[in-house]
Amino acid sequence: MTAGNWGFVVAAYGLAAVVLIAYWRFLVRREKELQGQGSGVSEPQASVSGHPRSEPASRSPLP
Amino acid sequence: MRRLLGGVTLAGLVAGLVMGFAIAPREATQGNVQRIMYLHVPSVWVAYLAFGVVLVASVVYLMRRAEAADRLAHASAEVGVLFTGLTIATGSIWGKPTWGAWWTWDARLTSVSILFVMYLGYLLLRGMIEDRERGARFAAVLGIVAAFNVPLVHFSVYWWRTLHQPPSLMKPGPGTMPDIIVAALLVNFAAFTLLYVYFVTRRARVLRLEAEAEA
Repeated sequence: MTAGNWGFVVAAYGLAAVVLIAYWRFLVRREKELQGQGSGVSEPQASVSGHPRSEPASRSPLP
Repeated sequence: MRRLLGGVTLAGLVAGLVMGFAIAPREATQGNVQRIMYLHVPSVWVAYLAFGVVLVASVVYLMRRAEAADRLAHASAEVGVLFTGLTIATGSIWGKPTWGAWWTWDARLTSVSILFVMYLGYLLLRGMIEDRERGARFAAVLGIVAAFNVPLVHFSVYWWRTLHQPPSLMKPGPGTMPDIIVAALLVNFAAFTLLYVYFVTRRARVLRLEAEAEA
């Protein structure tokens, strides 16, 4: 075992850095997307992807 | 608060790198490749911690049906899978120069792979069931069952004849490592624990926002 194994050390730490930074970026991006959606709820475009939901007060009572 | 936690975590990780590369000496037998330990061992610690949290949060969810507990279990399992994957990958990279092989079906390596696959299944199960409450219930049961694999992983080096060395730090009794190496390892343990808390809090928040967006 010699000091010539720096390549393995760099590979391990490099891989960890790439994976951890990628996960952190995923969390930041996803949070921004969702916050953007949340702030746009009152806009008409926000309900395009799903079925429109009626407000509880506008629903007719069950027979 | 989150920014503060992020800043402290980053400082901890930098301190861990300084301890591992500049303060801790080159190990006499393995040489510099032993420095992978400062990444590999804290990673498996975080995996153990994450799956322990999954166990507790899943029990709480089954008892109280608290959505926050379910989100905590989900976030912790995801982070646990991430760090278990890192443990396997860094262990493999460390194994090549020390054992002469990237992989061997050793009891420790096999049991940690089973743990990884079980929690990967946990995450897949959550994604497959559309009914949120039903998915959470099934996942909680799987999360509890899979967590019992953690002691199996940890003690596998005692229970079976393995190529993997026994624990150097996470064991009872006096340590066998020099104090400076233990100190470097402990700094990295602390930094990785902070990173776990940071990731889990952010992921749990994303899960809450997703649930609110679907409602």
